[in-house]
Amino acid sequence: MLSREADACFWIGRYVERAEATARMLDVHYHATLEGVPGMLAWESVLAIADCAEDFHKHHDQLNERTAIQYFVFDTSNPGSIVSALTYARENARSIREMVASEIWECLNMVYLELKEWDVDRALAGTPHAFFTKIKNAAHLFHGITYRTQLLNETRDWLRVGTFLERADQTVRLLDVKYHDLLPATRAGKPEIGGLGVGGPADIHGWIAVLRSVSAFEMYRKTHREGIHPAGVVDFLVLNPIFPASVRYSIGQTEEALRRVSGTSPSSPATCDPERLIGRLRAELNYARADEIIVAGLHEYLESVQKRCTEIGGSITKTYLSYQ
Amino acid sequence: MTLFCVRKWALSVSLFETYELGGFYDELMQAPGVPQTHSRALMTHLQSMSPLEFAQRARLAETLMMQQGITFNVYGADGGVERAFPFDLVPRVLTSHEWETIEQGLTQRLTALNLFLWDIYHEQKILKDGVVPRALVMGAAHFRREFMGADPPGGVYVHICGTDLIRDTDGKFYVLEDNLRTPSGVSYMLENRAILARVMPQLFQDMGVRPISDYTAHLLNNLRALAPAHRGDDPTVVLLTPGVYNSAYYEHSYLAQQLGIPLVEGRDLIVEENIVFMKTTHGLKRVDVIYRRVDDDFLDPLLFRSDSKLGVAGLVNAYRAGNVALANSIGTGVADDKVIYAYVPQIIKYYLDQEAILPNVTTYPAFEDSHRAYILANLDKLVVKAANESGGYGMLMGPQASLSEREVFAELVKANPRNYIAQPLIHLSRAPAFVEPGRFEGRHVDLRPFALCDRDLKVTIVPGGLTRVALKKGSYVVNSSQGGGSKDTWVLGKESSHAQS
Repeated sequence: MLSREADACFWIGRYVERAEATARMLDVHYHATLEGVPGMLAWESVLAIADCAEDFHKHHDQLNERTAIQYFVFDTSNPGSIVSALTYARENARSIREMVASEIWECLNMVYLELKEWDVDRALAGTPHAFFTKIKNAAHLFHGITYRTQLLNETRDWLRVGTFLERADQTVRLLDVKYHDLLPATRAGKPEIGGLGVGGPADIHGWIAVLRSVSAFEMYRKTHREGIHPAGVVDFLVLNPIFPASVRYSIGQTEEALRRVSGTSPSSPATCDPERLIGRLRAELNYARADEIIVAGLHEYLESVQKRCTEIGGSITKTYLSYQ
Repeated sequence: MTLFCVRKWALSVSLFETYELGGFYDELMQAPGVPQTHSRALMTHLQSMSPLEFAQRARLAETLMMQQGITFNVYGADGGVERAFPFDLVPRVLTSHEWETIEQGLTQRLTALNLFLWDIYHEQKILKDGVVPRALVMGAAHFRREFMGADPPGGVYVHICGTDLIRDTDGKFYVLEDNLRTPSGVSYMLENRAILARVMPQLFQDMGVRPISDYTAHLLNNLRALAPAHRGDDPTVVLLTPGVYNSAYYEHSYLAQQLGIPLVEGRDLIVEENIVFMKTTHGLKRVDVIYRRVDDDFLDPLLFRSDSKLGVAGLVNAYRAGNVALANSIGTGVADDKVIYAYVPQIIKYYLDQEAILPNVTTYPAFEDSHRAYILANLDKLVVKAANESGGYGMLMGPQASLSEREVFAELVKANPRNYIAQPLIHLSRAPAFVEPGRFEGRHVDLRPFALCDRDLKVTIVPGGLTRVALKKGSYVVNSSQGGGSKDTWVLGKESSHAQS
């Protein structure tokens, strides 16, 4: 496969995932602010998750649902906005449309064309939930069509590498910021071991919102029957081996796709830098415990995972995607 | 089908109520309300639809095209915008007899032009014999001196050709121009058929329309056969595109997808020791055949335009060394130069000893003094064209132009006579096209069939082509960059059952 094409697939995966994650996050925050869930600093924390508070304030004086949705959905000068992400995804798909099934391109093209018909007024005038659902469904359609039509070849592997690396990154960001919002004590460096006693009614709502924003609430319930508590949420979102948005699962899927590209197995020795870096991270996630992570400092831990995801992305680009 | 049999062949109300022929040859109608014999069944179907229903189908077709991204880029100050290729749902119909003539004529023409190209890049017999003026060939913008004596596989230069045909008021087909460099439009021919079959399946009933879907199969076979002999029986064929910003990018990606070959850009290729490789995630992979959709000028910065970012340094030397094949070959533009065009009938006679089956449009090359004087005196009656422009640019439609536009062209012709030709205005045939809010009007059309030539000079033409239509009322300009659209083009089989009454 051409390096340029692999690069396009990798970024299609990332952008579609980014658009979906942003839509989920905005959806949950919009509704949390409506219900007045205490402890949800709502829009401020959305800026923090996306790490773009500074850029936002360059463009807007006030932070409210209108400016936030404008910025995160429609603002083409914000490279992380949903419109930007889906435009980039479509542009990349256009440059490799002969590689993928027609339906994959058409799905990305259609959501792009549909989005051109929307602006912040229209999104707020109807139910924003319906709008966000549209974005999420487009992403689901993309994954479904890929699953159903695309050959199990390198094209699909690169789409998956991009998708899961981005998903790991998004889950880490979300958890990092929300954990701080919901447990101010940890910011002062006092770890809340287990945290079972911390959750008053307010915290419970906050954690439910966090789980919902990655569609994890119901699955969490099935896994952690003891109830909702911070260590449980960390365990579920970071370390669960079978929840599709957990960091561990996402990194595992990224590694498997990378191994398919090189034609080796995850259990065999690494053949290149990306495999070495990701194998190491996966091993750590495999054997970590949530309470240990919290004791050692969740923020530091998540920050380190995020940094390593960035490093893995850079190493993939260097090894495979930018032919020197 | 009995429903259709009881109808009379006079079309009555609805969509065709106000249809007029306007003094032009009409592809589907022989007189107001009377369809051409071969289009009766089609017209009956169209007739049975209400304007509203037809408009809905038209919108469905447009939606399908936007969704599939069947678009083209319009170049402009803002870097270009993407537009759906306008598509008219009324097909253009050719009888098997008409097609036979076209097929024979194009086969003859392409064969002769390939022999001509071989000759002028080798012995130049035709120039020595004075059939074509030497100065014209040597001075042609697309003559590639660097390519003299090079031997393309099988001696064939043009593998893919799209010739523009038009029909005058007498109903006869003429060749308007040959496109021998990187002709485009074949994807629209294929997609128009696919879309029409989806939105108006009923139209196809009882018509015996010949299929065209084998075009890409022929193309792929021909391309594979061009690979250097020692490269085995599974050569690597790629399609070279200038990239997503090229106006024909949709076609490039469509063809690569249909052919199942990689779509590469110049930056994906590298030449080492006269061998072309593509850069893959698993290192360099050798390339054997390049279906290139990048013009000569941009193909190799070492030989042609050094500022080109679209090409591949060293590609021409790799080609000359026989390590990679190009389709089309280099330097073919000399044979579709609009001035050389005037000599194609003589070229056919010279190499094949045959009269041209498809005639040229009468052409006055401005470099001949008598013709130039005639052109300058009759600018209001003639169409003037620059030798190497395409897409409807660099052209004067004398009868419709303003005085000042004609004066500009008079100066251009005087300043550079070699670069201009003039032709009488041909009153292109018309075909019904759907216009808002809901009726049919005649619009001018042309026809671009696509011919393929393999390395043994065997020509294959799928029965069909791209019918371009000038959607603006009264306009003769069919180019998509200037408000043109297209239609599905049907060639009927010999045994079709449309002649019921």
